Amino acid sequence: MPAESTSGALSIIMFSGTADKFIPLGVLAQAAAAMEMRVNVFVTGFALLGFTKKPNDLPFPAEFASMAPALAQGMKAARVQPWDAMLRQAKELGAKVYACSMMADVMGLKKADFNELIDDVVGAATFLEKAERGQTLFI
Amino acid sequence: MDITAASGRTLVDSRGSSCPGPITDLAMAYRRAKVGDTIELWATDPGVKPDVQAWAAKTRNEIVSIEDQPDKIVAVLRILRR
Repeated sequence: MPAESTSGALSIIMFSGTADKFIPLGVLAQAAAAMEMRVNVFVTGFALLGFTKKPNDLPFPAEFASMAPALAQGMKAARVQPWDAMLRQAKELGAKVYACSMMADVMGLKKADFNELIDDVVGAATFLEKAERGQTLFI
Repeated sequence: MDITAASGRTLVDSRGSSCPGPITDLAMAYRRAKVGDTIELWATDPGVKPDVQAWAAKTRNEIVSIEDQPDKIVAVLRILRR
């Protein structure tokens, strides 16, 4: 990342554990990283299930479940990357992804249970310090 | 993404790639570019015109031209700072 980057920071609290919510996570993290912004993602709640080595099938919200196949087909036709590919691209451009230590503990997940997308397991204070003076989104 | 670099001018072919692919391809080329270089971006995503303008404003680089062609949008950027 250019040393004199003055483009600010985007921090995303990824809380939702449903598959649809992971799309804006990927898009916004990748776009912000491409805009030379510092990007921090703090993964907590059921969203942690998207980041385990043993993959979990992320559910769709019940009210949109019937539309999921059409959405998947549309995304394929438009050649939209899967969310994890977008996040990996964001990380290549400098984005950092952190798992919430408390929720990981509650869900019985250790650092070794997370895949390579997770840079570290941290507490809320670490995230808040990193998010300071930037924009924060809650997904 | 298809990049051909020759003497300070880079062609980035992002045709067929949807948002945020084209500006990501642009950012990857930008990371490799030097001040004074030119990057030419080809894209078909309909959001690319405002997105390239936003990218240039955010990174404080210069748009030389953005042109609608029948089969693609062509943006030419000059790198002013890295």
